[in-house]
Amino acid sequence: MATEIILPRVDMDMATGKVIAWHAEDGARVEKGQLLFDIETDKAAMEIEAPASGVLRIVDARIGVDVPVGNTIGWIGAADEVPSAPAKPVPAANSDAGLRAAALQMLPAERVTAEDGVKTPRATPCARRLAKQHGIDLATVIGTGPRRRVQSDDVRKVIEQTPATTPTTAAAPTAPATQRAVAPGGLHRVWLRQGNGAPSVLIHGFGAELSSWRPLLTASGDVGPVLAIDLPGHGKSPMTEGADLPALVGAVEETLAEENVASLHLLGHSLGGAVATLLATRGAVEVRSLLLLDPAGLGPEINGAFIAGFLRAESEASLVPWLRELVSKEANLPQGLAAATLRQRRDGRLVAAQARIAATVLPDGTQAFSTRALFETLSIPAKIVFGTDDRIIPARHALGLPGTVALHLFPGTGHTPQLERRSEVARLWVELLRAAG
Amino acid sequence: MAIAMEEDDRVFLMGEDIGVYGGAFQVTGDLVHRFGEDRVMDTPISELGGAGVAVGAALAGMRPIFEFQFSDFMTLAMEQIVNQAAKIHYMLGGAVSVPLVMRFPAGSGTGAAAQHSQSLEAWLAHVPGLKVIQPSTPYDAKGMLLAAVADPDPVMIFEHKLLYKMKGPVPEGHYTVPIGKAETRRVGRDVTIVATSIMVHKALAAAEQLAAEDIEAEVVDLRSLRPIDTQAIIDSVKHTSRLVCVYEGVKTLGIGAEISASIAESEAFDYLDAPIVRLGGADCPLPYNPELEKAAVPQVPDIIEAVRALVRRKV
Repeated sequence: MATEIILPRVDMDMATGKVIAWHAEDGARVEKGQLLFDIETDKAAMEIEAPASGVLRIVDARIGVDVPVGNTIGWIGAADEVPSAPAKPVPAANSDAGLRAAALQMLPAERVTAEDGVKTPRATPCARRLAKQHGIDLATVIGTGPRRRVQSDDVRKVIEQTPATTPTTAAAPTAPATQRAVAPGGLHRVWLRQGNGAPSVLIHGFGAELSSWRPLLTASGDVGPVLAIDLPGHGKSPMTEGADLPALVGAVEETLAEENVASLHLLGHSLGGAVATLLATRGAVEVRSLLLLDPAGLGPEINGAFIAGFLRAESEASLVPWLRELVSKEANLPQGLAAATLRQRRDGRLVAAQARIAATVLPDGTQAFSTRALFETLSIPAKIVFGTDDRIIPARHALGLPGTVALHLFPGTGHTPQLERRSEVARLWVELLRAAG
Repeated sequence: MAIAMEEDDRVFLMGEDIGVYGGAFQVTGDLVHRFGEDRVMDTPISELGGAGVAVGAALAGMRPIFEFQFSDFMTLAMEQIVNQAAKIHYMLGGAVSVPLVMRFPAGSGTGAAAQHSQSLEAWLAHVPGLKVIQPSTPYDAKGMLLAAVADPDPVMIFEHKLLYKMKGPVPEGHYTVPIGKAETRRVGRDVTIVATSIMVHKALAAAEQLAAEDIEAEVVDLRSLRPIDTQAIIDSVKHTSRLVCVYEGVKTLGIGAEISASIAESEAFDYLDAPIVRLGGADCPLPYNPELEKAAVPQVPDIIEAVRALVRRKV
């Protein structure tokens, strides 16, 4: 069956939105997860990904015209089954043998079982509506209802964990949202907020992805424009040639150049903190301030068991105990994080890429690089935030740096202060932006 | 009824034993002494004959209020209600109307056995041309009765026998409660309970107990079966995503079936997060044995159990 592409609701108040660019042509073959189109509301611009793989048939190709939320703007399906004109969903009664075969091909293998034939996900109408609005494939949602029926809460969990299709929080209305498409080649990135002035660029840690910043953003006030980047081999970014630190930094620099970001503020977490420190001192871009959360690069130890266990985990049962190492209090771990992480890993490429990076920069429970010397030459406002209960990188690594670098230690906090101390981190972020001007 | 009779000379009462005896459930009381036997008329034991007189009087410009001793006896008067009262206005091209009110003491709980305990309101709600209402509070009983008397069409009022003793605030003087509007008796986020008549009170009692378990039920008092306020249910379900229908009439082919189907056909379908649940009377003639009689209609624990299962994802 063809998959309907609807204009999704990306904002609670949104009644209409406009497509401002298609990234695939009518009739073209698209892959699930590939960037499909950009939409713009009066609050934000948003990238929408293909909900399925197949041939794209655009039924409403108007650019910049307001379309009601939920309207069908296209279909994805087999070449011969997709309606070419604005049409109703393909009725099941039409499914001749050929169409069924095409549908079977489009379904993940595990959903076809001997006794049931084609298993479509059992989902409540409410869950289906939510999934449709947010462009989520129900087959990827784990149902917790009776007989594993997918209920609305199950979809909401996925929405919370899915980048790009979740609503951004109150985008700054200062500048008209401009179309910022991802050019081919660079890293995956999303403008989490629009606005005027030098943007804050967010770089996540090892094994994470750009959507891990979303909880912090919900706690943040006016921080101006925000660009979040998926590091190579993380989130939706492809792996780069090199897996060492300079290669990671180079890929970020390239991406910033593509986005025409020459002057920026940096916020980096863990491995992303080391990347940010290098970026700030290499001179390819003008970095105006540096905020590092439990950064790597300041000492030799890192929790090698965590790195290995995290990469090895193939189920929630084996992943959750490692994710607990990230936080001081288990309750601070976002619900559904394990499920979302495992979903991303399905094709195995992410884990392979991350294993390569780990083997290169974090071999044998050791940080094979140091950024300590770089702080000696740093002439911009810089703050380091550390949770004293960090079980991945010991907080004592942050001691002994030049006195010009501020150190904020949070007791009762683990490796992810952006989760456990989000309002305090948000406050330090704003203070640093003000200090840097 | 006394207010309607004082305000309008055309209003008069008919029924078996409604005069000196005051009615099988003492609803007419001493009205015969206030208004005389011309306006509070005892009829012979012939529901068909009495109903025929009432329909004829309404056609002739009077405003009769006809009382059945037990709603069960409406079966004897079906010809006059269904084929005459409901149809005449339409078959004569709107030249005449039938401003008739009929009152039906209904429901179980009095130990009156199978022929005196039924809830047959859905029968009449199936007939276009009639209006069918089920007030659940003293306030609505008065306001909807006065609205029914003022209505140009035949209005059938089903009154639950166990609610006759209910006390509640009732303003003095004339006021009306519109026919065809449901009322939300309790606001909640987790589940919508649509109930009729006495089941409204059972649903409210269940909701109070469920609140202790952090389950907040919204209780919608349907009040009117025809016309039915589907929009009120749609609005509530869009907000709670779950629906339970509670009614005393036999479950099969009853009010709950109509409500379920209407919701499944409506825009609220896309908001449902669980199957719709019906709690209705058992598919059996109502037993005389008081324990079996209770077991044959939904009770507060039944509602609690059904809602709990629905909200806790057991169904």
